[in-house]
Amino acid sequence: MSTAIIDARGWQSSFDLKTGEKVQPESDAQRIVKEVLQKHPYPGDMDKASNRWVSDTALELIENYTPRFVFLSYAAQYFSLRYNPMTDENRSKLISEALNEAKRFIELSGYTPIIVGTGDMTPLIGNIDITRLEGLALCTNWSARYAGLYEPSDKDMTLLNSHPFIEKIIPREEIVRLFNGTPEQAQRVPEFLMVARKGYAFKALSPTMKVPVMTPSDCITVPVFIPGSDINDITGIRDELEKLTAKKNIALIILEGAGVNDFPLPYRSCINGKEWFTYETGDAQYLTISSGEHRFFDYPKGYKYYDETDVNNDFPFSGYFKSIPVNTFASSFPGRSIAVGNKSMFMHMVTGADICIECFSRNMFNQGTMAVIHRDDK
Amino acid sequence: MQCNYCERRCEIPEGKTGVCRMYTFSGGNIIERFPHRWSACSTSVIESMPFYHVYPGSRCLTIGTASCNFRCSYCSNAHIAKEDPELQQEKMFNIPPVELVAMAKRMNCRSIIFNVNEPAVSIPSLIETSREAEKAGIMMGCLTNGYMTEESADILASIFSFFNVSLKGLSDNFNKTFIGIGSSEPVLRNIKRLATDRYVEITTPVIQGENDNELNSMAEFIAGINPSIPWHVFRLLPEDEMKDKEYPDISFINNALTEARKKLPYIYFHNFVGSDWVNTICPSCGSVVIERFSLGCGGDKLKTDHTTEGCCKSCGREIHLL
Ligand code: SF4
Repeated sequence: MSTAIIDARGWQSSFDLKTGEKVQPESDAQRIVKEVLQKHPYPGDMDKASNRWVSDTALELIENYTPRFVFLSYAAQYFSLRYNPMTDENRSKLISEALNEAKRFIELSGYTPIIVGTGDMTPLIGNIDITRLEGLALCTNWSARYAGLYEPSDKDMTLLNSHPFIEKIIPREEIVRLFNGTPEQAQRVPEFLMVARKGYAFKALSPTMKVPVMTPSDCITVPVFIPGSDINDITGIRDELEKLTAKKNIALIILEGAGVNDFPLPYRSCINGKEWFTYETGDAQYLTISSGEHRFFDYPKGYKYYDETDVNNDFPFSGYFKSIPVNTFASSFPGRSIAVGNKSMFMHMVTGADICIECFSRNMFNQGTMAVIHRDDK
Repeated sequence: MQCNYCERRCEIPEGKTGVCRMYTFSGGNIIERFPHRWSACSTSVIESMPFYHVYPGSRCLTIGTASCNFRCSYCSNAHIAKEDPELQQEKMFNIPPVELVAMAKRMNCRSIIFNVNEPAVSIPSLIETSREAEKAGIMMGCLTNGYMTEESADILASIFSFFNVSLKGLSDNFNKTFIGIGSSEPVLRNIKRLATDRYVEITTPVIQGENDNELNSMAEFIAGINPSIPWHVFRLLPEDEMKDKEYPDISFINNALTEARKKLPYIYFHNFVGSDWVNTICPSCGSVVIERFSLGCGGDKLKTDHTTEGCCKSCGREIHLL
């Protein structure tokens, strides 16, 4: 059983991650985690100290749990880049500051780093309003470049096919072929996947009016700092982890919002997708990195999320995730592992690490922190 | 000309606007400046609004507009409610009511809920939406600060079948300091009025040290209308002008609710992850009749509804549900 320990600021409680039933924490790992959470309240997504929280929390956890593999995600600069207008210079400065925070962690922990940038951002030029179609169009999980389309009318298709800001409209069969999907996986893929041109974002149904100023670019490659390796695809990172962790303690560090244009370290330019499809930052990209295989189908772009989240009560604290993704590196790693990140309820699903700590934010409202203990028997 | 949509009753000169900046005076009438413009349009489960006793587990289409007639210092939607609505228009959804309702149908929503800002600032658009919704057999509900005029309360009661009214504080001092209004009297009056023929839940965000001393008086007021009214006591999430304030102490507030719980059977203390106080307990036999997950900040969810035809399975007591 995986246990979730939630710290809502001065209020901690523990749950079975899958059922959401309350449990009484008993193990040493649970006691360690509760103390770490209490000592490190989350400062907030847009707070300057947010990335520092990732390092400090991870260092504290390392001291108490001595993991061999650490998976970190620094995302504060991503939120700032996304919502705050800034010059190119300031953008680079922000990425450098995030890297400096990661370097501080590396220095203090002594772990050997692999650092992956999730891809460049590009200024938002315009929106593609898909709210008034006769069919249904959906964007999912922060995605801006991709939108799913269901039951479009002829009028919709004429409009969308001639839309100057839409790059492609891909039918379901083509997506299923590209990623070798099974018939079962195909059922969750939208009838069509629309792809926006670089700099444009789909404007679909949304509970908030927060409009980004930057949007993920079409990142054919992303930067990976991995000295001594000759990988050229993000699917190659997993094998490198297998090799490197056999010899030393490794920290896989994800720098959100950093792409080949801004990456402040020597890097290998790694392919970030397949054919026409490129990953935006999100579950599919993280899972592809941590599993070494393309993971479009876990939560397909533009899928009907509400049909799953509204009716399935499993994993109530895990956002849209409805099962623990399989084949992540840390889930089969024999040594101890941890993950820490400030990109919301996410790390415990995409990393598979023994102990994961993440901020618990909903729509960027700071609700506290959550730790998930998948295993404490190592 | 005077705008009578809310108790501010702004005097609006020709071509100008009132406090909320959502209405203007033109052609001899108070008219809505931005009809059919929505700041939000999405789907959600009804518990996350929160409505705990309205069609548990059902899906709703959530909508909102811009601006507000209040100036709460802890607004969680300040980027929508406090900004100049004129400057927001480019970002907003422009969806006519008939399409909004069609969207709700397409996504199998049981209701349409106005939940972002104050509905009194967008009454004409909501009237139109309710006409379309009625044709389609979809109910409408809303979250409101309850500061509408008596006339508007009647109009809103004709639009919405169910309400969650925010009862923020009782004292004049609290209302002046934290909300920017002189008195809670209109809100109390409207809660009473709406509860006469509409389904009502009430929400109170608690600011420790500021309005927790009023919890018992609020409970008495609610019990005086109908003790079955569900009351959501929120732990305030420090936001907006109160961003640097401490998070209220959960045990402290929970203890402060001891007396209130004797008066009202359906008190829920939440707006934080992992709350223990989000289940509905049968007032007669104490069985858990509806279980929920508390995810905080607009994320609550039904876990299991144990009722049978709206009654407790153990003792048969009818539970107050819509
Ligand atoms: S609805 Fe707006 S314009 Fe009308 S009285 Fe209230 S604040 Fe003034």
